[in-house]
Amino acid sequence: MEHASFGDQRNATFALAEEDHTLANALRFTLNQDPRVIFCGYSIPHPSEARVNVRVQTTGDPAREVLKDTCQDLMLTCQHIRGTFDNAVKDFRMKNPPDDLTSQDMDSD
Amino acid sequence: MDPQPEPVSYICGDCGMENTLKPGDVIQCRECGYRILYKKRTRRIIQYEAR
Amino acid sequence: MSDFDSEAMADAGVENPKLPPHLELRRTRVLCKADAPTSTDTVQYSGAYASLGVDNSLRFDDFRNNFRVQVNRISHEDMEFDMVGVDPSIANALRRILLAELPTMAIEKVLIANNTSVVQDEVLAHRLGLIPIKVDPRLFDYLSENDTSNEKNTIVFKLHVRCAERGQRLTATSNELTWLPKGSELLKTSESLTSTSKPETYTSFTCSQDSMPEFAGNPISVYPDIIIAKLGFGQEIELEAHAVKGVGKTHAKWSPVATCWYRMLPEVVLTEEIEGKKAELLKQKCPANVFEIEDLADGRKRATVARPRACTLCRECIRDGDDWEKRVSLRRVKDHFIFTIESTGALPPEVLFTEAVKILEDKCERVISDLS
Repeated sequence: MEHASFGDQRNATFALAEEDHTLANALRFTLNQDPRVIFCGYSIPHPSEARVNVRVQTTGDPAREVLKDTCQDLMLTCQHIRGTFDNAVKDFRMKNPPDDLTSQDMDSD
Repeated sequence: MDPQPEPVSYICGDCGMENTLKPGDVIQCRECGYRILYKKRTRRIIQYEAR
Repeated sequence: MSDFDSEAMADAGVENPKLPPHLELRRTRVLCKADAPTSTDTVQYSGAYASLGVDNSLRFDDFRNNFRVQVNRISHEDMEFDMVGVDPSIANALRRILLAELPTMAIEKVLIANNTSVVQDEVLAHRLGLIPIKVDPRLFDYLSENDTSNEKNTIVFKLHVRCAERGQRLTATSNELTWLPKGSELLKTSESLTSTSKPETYTSFTCSQDSMPEFAGNPISVYPDIIIAKLGFGQEIELEAHAVKGVGKTHAKWSPVATCWYRMLPEVVLTEEIEGKKAELLKQKCPANVFEIEDLADGRKRATVARPRACTLCRECIRDGDDWEKRVSLRRVKDHFIFTIESTGALPPEVLFTEAVKILEDKCERVISDLS
């Protein structure tokens, strides 16, 4: 899935199967935020093929490692979003106890 | 062909009454005399994709 | 939250010089001018402001300190919340996952034994497919191509309605769909049947679903009161519907949300004092009723921005000539999303969102393991 030239690990294109804009655009953003990345972008070569190509060019580190770190970063971001969201929901529930108990019951039915 | 032809169910086009007809019977509703009868749908199971 | 914010500010101040205000405005706001919006893109590249000595890379700690979520409204079928401090690419990824990649159960196979209604078989099947099923999809497996239907991947419903009263109409609603926890009751026809084996049905359940702890005393139901067909006298529908797990990108019937969207927070700024007649006029111009008139102590009347959230960016207020555009600045905050989720009933909206985030995490994990 990785297409890098021999002896030059800094520049590579990664083909991600079964992925689309959902992951690729989020990855592009996260990659761009990494100071080690000179250039990054993605393309979907054909709309009826479930595949994206992510291009990464770095200042010196192997592109593969940078992409791995980026995925790790995005994962941490997601975990933080999830934690914060759960707390916010809990907070809201504490401050606004459900007064429509009947509809709550219906929900759990 | 089948040795003994089975009676076939028809639905009256006017009153909705179910009629069973054998070969040679008069094509007429027993309830109201209406002469347009529709053949009843088979009960053979047909499978569809819900898309 | 506010402590966090000030801490983050202080940190940033020490390490990173601030951008000049005109650039900061363009970095963080969409500016909505009378003819078109400008500075609509987000500045992603970490070195975008390197020549100014400003680091544009996102440190995870900064993100953690600035990110916040505030819930505005939750019910069992919809919710609205503010998500602040995140890039549109991530907010959009979550929205896309909610729409297309979160699994639910939906009717996929319809076995019609009898249908004398005016609704054609295939139309009927399609209508049944779109009925939301109130069951947690996490309790089920996907049914793959060469799997047999069993109690872990299929839910069976029966529908048998007949209009028996002369001159009457019978409305068949989704309430008439009854759950068959023991699986299919229809027998397969004789051709495949050997004389000794017991008659085969269309599913092979090893146990009844209502003996499973998840469903004991908690029968699976569908969204109520959806009209399926209307029957005239003598008309009858008898069928069985098999629901399986799937995702919205295969077919919209599996989408767990009726819809899910976000909008950026509108920001309305009056760049100069607007008083008297002009204030009155401004208040009148706005169809969303964003502005209010404030009485000052000396008897003057001044326009204020009372409800910026209500702004739809219709730009009515900056339409009549350049001078209005100079007085009122309409903006959108690029990293502030007002997210709305409308669930179809399978899972409550807050669970849908956390599940969506988990799916994005899984995607990252898959890439990491592919690269290792």
